[in-house]
Amino acid sequence: MSIDPCCDNEGGASRRSFLKSAASGFGWLAFAGILSEQAYGFDLGGKLNKVRPGIPQDPNDPLAPKQPHFAARAKRVIFLNMAGAPSHVDTFDYKPRLATDNGKAAGGKLRGNWMASPFKFTPSGKSGLPISELFPNVAQHADSLCMLNGMYTDLPAHPQASVKLHTGNFQFVRPSMGAWISYGLGTVNRNLPSFVTLSPDRGNGGAQNYGAAFLPAIHQGTPINIGRAGRGGGAALANRGGGGDEGVANLKSSRFDTKEQREQIDFLQALNRERLRREKDPQVEGVIESFELAYRMQAEIPDLLDLSKEPKATQDMYGVGEQDTDAFARQCLTARRLAQAGVRYIQITKGGWDHHRNLKQAITDSTKAIDKPIGALLADLARTGMLKDTLVMWGGEFGRTPYAQGNDGRDHNNKGFTMWLAGGGVKGGYAHGATDEHGYEAVAGRLSIHDWHATILHLMGVDHTRLTCQHAGRDFRLTDVHGEVAKDILA
Amino acid sequence: MSRIRTLSLVALLASVAWSQTQSPVVSFKTVRRLYDKNRDGEVTRAEYTRGDELFTKLDADGDGVLTEHDFATKKEARNEAKKPTDPNVPGASTPDATPVTPPTAEQSAFFEKHIRPVLVKDCMTCHATGLGDVKADLALDYRDGWVKGGINGPAIVPGDPESSLLISAMRYSDSDVKMPPKGKLSADVIRDFETWVRMGAPDPRVDAPKNSKEAATDGSLPKVGRTVSKDEIEAGRKYWSFTPPAKSVPPVPKQNGWAFNEVDQFLLAEMEKKGLAPAPDADRRSWLRRVTFDVTGLPPTIEALDAFEKDKSTDAHEKVIDRLLNSPQYGERWGRHWLDVARYAESTGKEVNVAYPHAWRYRDYVIDAFNRDRPYDRFLIEQLAGDLMPYQDAVQQSTQLVATGFLAVGVKALNTRDRRQFEHDLADEQIDTTTQAMLGLTVACARCHDHKFDPIPQSDYYAMEGIFLSTDTLYGTFRAPQTNYPSAVIELPKDNGQPKGAQMTAIQRTVLKGLYDRAKQLVETPVDPKADVVARVRTAQANATIAQYDDVFSRFDKDGNPTDRNLVAMGVMDRPRPREARILDRGEPAKALELVKRGVVQVITASDAAPTIKKGSGRLELAEWIASPANPLTARVMVNRIWLHVFGQGLVTTPDNFGMTGNRPSHPELMDWMAVQFVEDGWSVKQTLRRLLLSHAYRMDSTASAKSASVDPENVYLSHMSTRRLEAEAIRDAMMASAGVLELERPEGSPVGALEGRVNGDLLRRGLAMQKPVRSVYLPILRDVVPEGLEIFDFAEPSFVTGERERTNVATQALYILNDEAVTAAAEAFAQRCMRESDDDGPRIEFAFLTAYGRKPSPNETEAARSFLRDFRALQRTDAPTPPTQEGARRRPRVARGNAAPRVDVEKETWTAFCQALFGSAEFRYVD
Repeated sequence: MSIDPCCDNEGGASRRSFLKSAASGFGWLAFAGILSEQAYGFDLGGKLNKVRPGIPQDPNDPLAPKQPHFAARAKRVIFLNMAGAPSHVDTFDYKPRLATDNGKAAGGKLRGNWMASPFKFTPSGKSGLPISELFPNVAQHADSLCMLNGMYTDLPAHPQASVKLHTGNFQFVRPSMGAWISYGLGTVNRNLPSFVTLSPDRGNGGAQNYGAAFLPAIHQGTPINIGRAGRGGGAALANRGGGGDEGVANLKSSRFDTKEQREQIDFLQALNRERLRREKDPQVEGVIESFELAYRMQAEIPDLLDLSKEPKATQDMYGVGEQDTDAFARQCLTARRLAQAGVRYIQITKGGWDHHRNLKQAITDSTKAIDKPIGALLADLARTGMLKDTLVMWGGEFGRTPYAQGNDGRDHNNKGFTMWLAGGGVKGGYAHGATDEHGYEAVAGRLSIHDWHATILHLMGVDHTRLTCQHAGRDFRLTDVHGEVAKDILA
Repeated sequence: MSRIRTLSLVALLASVAWSQTQSPVVSFKTVRRLYDKNRDGEVTRAEYTRGDELFTKLDADGDGVLTEHDFATKKEARNEAKKPTDPNVPGASTPDATPVTPPTAEQSAFFEKHIRPVLVKDCMTCHATGLGDVKADLALDYRDGWVKGGINGPAIVPGDPESSLLISAMRYSDSDVKMPPKGKLSADVIRDFETWVRMGAPDPRVDAPKNSKEAATDGSLPKVGRTVSKDEIEAGRKYWSFTPPAKSVPPVPKQNGWAFNEVDQFLLAEMEKKGLAPAPDADRRSWLRRVTFDVTGLPPTIEALDAFEKDKSTDAHEKVIDRLLNSPQYGERWGRHWLDVARYAESTGKEVNVAYPHAWRYRDYVIDAFNRDRPYDRFLIEQLAGDLMPYQDAVQQSTQLVATGFLAVGVKALNTRDRRQFEHDLADEQIDTTTQAMLGLTVACARCHDHKFDPIPQSDYYAMEGIFLSTDTLYGTFRAPQTNYPSAVIELPKDNGQPKGAQMTAIQRTVLKGLYDRAKQLVETPVDPKADVVARVRTAQANATIAQYDDVFSRFDKDGNPTDRNLVAMGVMDRPRPREARILDRGEPAKALELVKRGVVQVITASDAAPTIKKGSGRLELAEWIASPANPLTARVMVNRIWLHVFGQGLVTTPDNFGMTGNRPSHPELMDWMAVQFVEDGWSVKQTLRRLLLSHAYRMDSTASAKSASVDPENVYLSHMSTRRLEAEAIRDAMMASAGVLELERPEGSPVGALEGRVNGDLLRRGLAMQKPVRSVYLPILRDVVPEGLEIFDFAEPSFVTGERERTNVATQALYILNDEAVTAAAEAFAQRCMRESDDDGPRIEFAFLTAYGRKPSPNETEAARSFLRDFRALQRTDAPTPPTQEGARRRPRVARGNAAPRVDVEKETWTAFCQALFGSAEFRYVD
């Protein structure tokens, strides 16, 4: 079964040709609006047909769950994005040679002296994966982790590399991985966005990192702030000030009840569809979808984001309420609740990894904030039986130099770094690929960002060469014309 | 002459009695006691109220602050004069008098393991010839440094720790000299040093390090990472954006008569090359809505729509454009575009977010500059160096001083521990903003290493840093716990023509007074001498609160009106003595390398055209170099910014990056023609904008032809106008305008004007309420607490230079429109306007559409509207009364409680729901 929701669904020749002629950006609504107005609002007599989108039966619904190309190992993704590029040689890429050569000139083109990791690595789990003492909790799950030690990317600059990591292309605006997955697979809970991004980074590409580009706008990530409270007192401004607000604001009208609001939205959507018909403006689809989703979210989001619904023991396990871990713990626990509720793709962004100096202290602080919550997340997913089909991914946009910057820092390094995967049909306790003996350059099992994307899609049951959308007269893919699945890591 | 005003208790300070002619013989202790208002242990020029001349005299080392060092230097100079030539006097001994025995291997090992790392880490930041800073003349980076010793004589007596100054300083046992100043070293470290001194202080570092001033002259760059060679810079000068623009003759397109002006000629010729044809003209009402939003950020009024519809003259479009460009609303919109780029905000941001109560003056300056069409070159020079420009009168002088707020309103981490770090970070923020905003270059990437992508060596960065380090940035915050680096503000001259600012509201006064009284009470309560740290911090916080609010209350009278003391501005002034910056290895302040002459970015300067700094910091020269027709970037970058806000995307789609990782222009000849024309038009932004608005391209319809959609889906070749989502401000202003409640008059000042100190809690929630529903550009913009209605529609993040905003379409925006109280209230006001218009649905619907969309409803839409009204009314009538809920009090107002079920005001509710739906519709937030 093919999944090309944009261009090749069960819609018949007329629909396909219409969409081809409309070329870009036109998805289901254009079709629905023009060929079956009856179903979506205006009939030609101008009367309103009140369609109440609940759980969809409509094959044109862009978020309806779709069959993957082949059996999926993972049904959902939780991506723990470490913005700023954490050092691999201090965390998950053990390089004893650095200790031997500590202080020696790196030589060659490299201007710097090798710097041993100040942290001890211990063989962990039955598999004996070497994990740094910075991650005592994560280390307990060593046998679930699949290390990708041979990652590399194009550019050692944060904004470009971050956009590349998320969209596969740093030069042009392209859909993000979460949007592609939402587009390809839809989502099972129609009361929630298919793609949620918790407290996204405002810099380094900003909204591009969760954008939908030319895919229907409904696939873009919905940003929700969790764990930012206290930053500048945002929470105190619940009703007036903005960015720092916790959770989702404005979930209830103080004026209209749900029946009235539905009536109101039906009218608003009728106007939107009329505009869509008149102007053929694909951006209208985004507005239409955003109101439908908003309406449905009102019912489910408040409970879902209420972490007090979790037993105290669970909150404690994640580190909720502890000074060092609170923010990330809330994000991880929220991610688990969203995953459980059926959200397809969840991203958490944790910044502050750009350790050019003061590495020893700073990376200790950074890892302290995430180790316990991640350990709890993996344990919790395992406990609920979800780990087997939830793909947890950890990593930043590149790595850091094994040679020193100053006395106590490491510079950007795009030649080799580490990300890891867990659950979702990957081999546990397994290390794929390697950097050279100092950890500078990936030399074995090399994975580009395209390869990484291809592998993730594969785990989701999607062939990266067949997940396409036509835009500007040609088919686009997340992996462009590249990408090779790392078959070795499949369980 | 303007003065710098210190923020605290000036009146309480006695003056020092000495005549101005007499050479100052006064101890630093006295000076500190009298002038160090923020008690940070040093006296800044701002704190010192005895005039510049005396200050300069006292500031022996010329670093712009009075410290112990200045007085020590003086004392030493005096001692020098009467120094006897007795060889027995300590300090008169010469280095070669001390015999040097090379250390044994064991001693070397001890030194390397226990001594050198500590010296490097904790001492050499201030005591190293090789790094340039030799405080108290004591160098610790080579053996003879401590042998000779500093102003207090030799630092170490080999073999005798008890007589060694270095040891007593480390032990903190000497009341005068405690080293290192930021905190006592551990007992283990001190013991190691004692051991080392006891063994004779063996020190392998016999060669004096090369003096870094000499190193500076050999022109070599530090070898870190990639290096940018002279050849690379020379080659870089040929990159398209680093070459001065040249005007080419506009091409003659095949299609006759379509082009209105040169812009159209360029565009059409390019379309023809791609096989595209221009779209037909938009209908008049679409064009009017488009141009009204683009120029003023507001929807056209019904009257304006009528007038334009009736005006059949050939220059009808031109008249509209001129009317809009001459309205004050033009500057409010276009000034805001610049404020995005200038990362304008009214607080420091970062962990400790401290208010900038005077930032709004810079905001108003920008708006006024656009309204008066200040030539763009002058506009830039004023922002970088307004304080250094000549002026006719106090009004002009004040305007220019306020303009320099550009350099002061940036992000600052006031809780930074290390002063040097803070100063370098401040300069970095200024370099980053200046070069990105004005040049489209990311020069700040060259702070730690040569630029990774552009031919900008690290030395270029530090050449610019010298200019900013020679500049005093005055942003007006107080010292408090977690808030270091207090700073003064600029006191504006008399008759400055500046508004005094917003009133302090009664609520603000109540909140501030409450906090103030609580602090007073706390301070007046006798403190237990054994009080713990928490109590001491609380007292310090209370003292800071008192100082801050003393200032606030002096800026407002008891009725809340701002006083003359509120006539101050953020900005910059030159430090008394300019200085060169040192290249910092990897950007680390502790690793200073050679000095770099102050200057500018080489690759965009012809090799023989580098500006020479005649006097002062060099900011004026920097500004003139940027705002010069010879600068290849300045005009191009601005023309592109203007283009972007008219056509939806820039000719260069990376508006803040014209470097080698930026994109190349879609129409290179057009870009250059525009840039040169801009300069020839006297750098007039209005002229340039007017040319674009008058073009035929701007008059096209926004619908793409099939051909365009397939060949050029991004509409790079502009064969039609692009549908664009309105910015956050325009969406909010349009809702308020539709509701008929928008106050077009500029409010005086900002509600932040009555704040000081950290912005959080009660003060924020209650303190920021606006008195009137003003335009969005006047809402308080505190970093991290941007008003929700702006934030949610992709307001520019005020910590970055933002040439182009995001345009997202997410459910949280829909939730905001559906449920936010302010939106609902605006919908109700809009509803009441509709209801006043007529008693019948027909005219009401038409009025609502005209107001919200600038057009009449189609028959389909009228029918849909009628159907909605009918159904919603029915729903209201049959609606069972809602049982009281927790929000019961906030539920809709119910009227006329009769014997039967409670009734609601059906009409008002229905029309409110109707108007809110219009706000939510796509057409409301897009322009075609």
